Amino acid sequence: MTAPLVHVRGLVKSFGSHRVLEGVDLDVAAGEVVVVLGPSGSGKSTLLRCLNHLERPDAGFVQVGGELIGYRYAGGRLHELRPAAITRQRARIGMVFQQFNLFPHRTVLANLIEAPVAVRGLRRDEAAGVARELLDRVGLAGREDAYPGRLSGGQQQRVAIARALAMNPRLMLFDEPTSALDPELVGEVLSVMRDLASSGMTMIVVTHEIGFAREVADTVVFLDQGRVVESGPPADVLSRPRHERARAFLAAVL
Amino acid sequence: MTVVRKPSAAALTDDELLAARVARPRRIGQWLAAAVAAVLLAMLVHTVLTNPRFQWDVVGDYFTSTAILRGLVLTLWLTAAVMAGGYLLGTGLAAMRLSRNVVLRSVSFGYVWLVRSIPPLVLLLFWYELASLYPRLSLGVPFGPEFVTVRTAHLFTGIVAALVALTLDVAAFSAEIIRGGLLAVPAGQTEAAQALGLGRWRIFRRVVLPQAMPAIVPASGNMLISMLKATSIVSVIAVQDLLYSAQLIYNQNFQVIPLLLVATLWYVLLTTVLSIGQYYVERHYGRGTRRSFGRIWLGGRR
Repeated sequence: MTAPLVHVRGLVKSFGSHRVLEGVDLDVAAGEVVVVLGPSGSGKSTLLRCLNHLERPDAGFVQVGGELIGYRYAGGRLHELRPAAITRQRARIGMVFQQFNLFPHRTVLANLIEAPVAVRGLRRDEAAGVARELLDRVGLAGREDAYPGRLSGGQQQRVAIARALAMNPRLMLFDEPTSALDPELVGEVLSVMRDLASSGMTMIVVTHEIGFAREVADTVVFLDQGRVVESGPPADVLSRPRHERARAFLAAVL
Repeated sequence: MTVVRKPSAAALTDDELLAARVARPRRIGQWLAAAVAAVLLAMLVHTVLTNPRFQWDVVGDYFTSTAILRGLVLTLWLTAAVMAGGYLLGTGLAAMRLSRNVVLRSVSFGYVWLVRSIPPLVLLLFWYELASLYPRLSLGVPFGPEFVTVRTAHLFTGIVAALVALTLDVAAFSAEIIRGGLLAVPAGQTEAAQALGLGRWRIFRRVVLPQAMPAIVPASGNMLISMLKATSIVSVIAVQDLLYSAQLIYNQNFQVIPLLLVATLWYVLLTTVLSIGQYYVERHYGRGTRRSFGRIWLGGRR
């Protein structure tokens, strides 16, 4: 068996006296789609944010492609990397947020080429070419001169996905990508994510869309009170949950 | 509920109601206010023009006199210098206040607290009178040898004291304006930029600062205009700005009111120009937001 792309062991994170993650283990193979389910406050978002070091874990570690994220091992201790090194690691991990977080003062095209030009060192016209292809791929060809505020929520989220893809990531993180959307706009975003999954992208998706999990996920992970309580193929976890909390959650959302 | 007063209303057809236009509101209050304002304005114009003691001829004589224009130039560059220096320091202080380093945070807080507590005039006098506190100033190793020594009174002339005191004052207030603007940018913007792998300086310059500007610009325009006029306090330490130049003239010819009018008209003129400039800067930084920029003048719709 080949080494997993994402390798997480014993991840612990507290905010003040509240322990959000209580030792999470997770392995994600290249090309795998993992959907993380769980009640609110179970630590799903925090887990995702530890994977690109937006949150600093208190214990445990994250490796992506064999590389320790956010820390350097020396003399039996983990030392936090300098900001520039963390920045470099984040460049190959795409992230999509619940609130889209597009830059509202820049056009769609400028949103897409900012990081490729600044971080990957592409020329502006190269980056613009890549950006137009990606906009076409998410169904927004021709909207490159619009400001984000002029787009619907679903369109903004698709731009956000294209912006993350413009960095040519080896891993995509989705933090409740459809939770802020009107119900009729959810489908267009999920359809883009479905296409992305079938193109072989490694994805970790925090969502409440059980249908998406059933249909697209290779693995469903159920998180409760900072622990993985259930993990396996969607057919098993969604249809025959063994853990009582998972049963209660699924009964409530289905 | 039945309509008692007009029972025929029940007989209106749908077609009649569909054909009806919405009548324009009469706005009686607006016309009343306009009449009162017009009368008051007429009274003001009348007295300004007919009261001979305004001495508009004297105002005209001195409005572009050499002494006044020299004072005007000093006021302009003093304002520009203290605003530029103050905002440079203020940006640093705001960054310190928002940093993770607790020492930097405390120093910034302490500075802002101290300087905001002191009236600018008092601050100005302290720097002007620094020689009575420290007759000599020297550069050297703390508690060790001194390399350069100067007499304080020679260093802190009126204009230098004015520059230092007003710069420190602007720094304290601009630090708070900038900090407020930076805090108004949602944290998600920084996180999205970090997730894209952008560096800290680039995130500040390209993502956070431009979005902070709509909050920073109006308050800074206000600050600039108030500082343009606040520089007139340097007249108490005999720096020849616009106001002090006017005072020097009326101390000789006793034409107090006309010369104060000369200074006032220049301040009004400069403030007007700055206000118009502020409007265009705000409009520039409003790109991509839904905020509308109504016309400034009459007829702008609410």
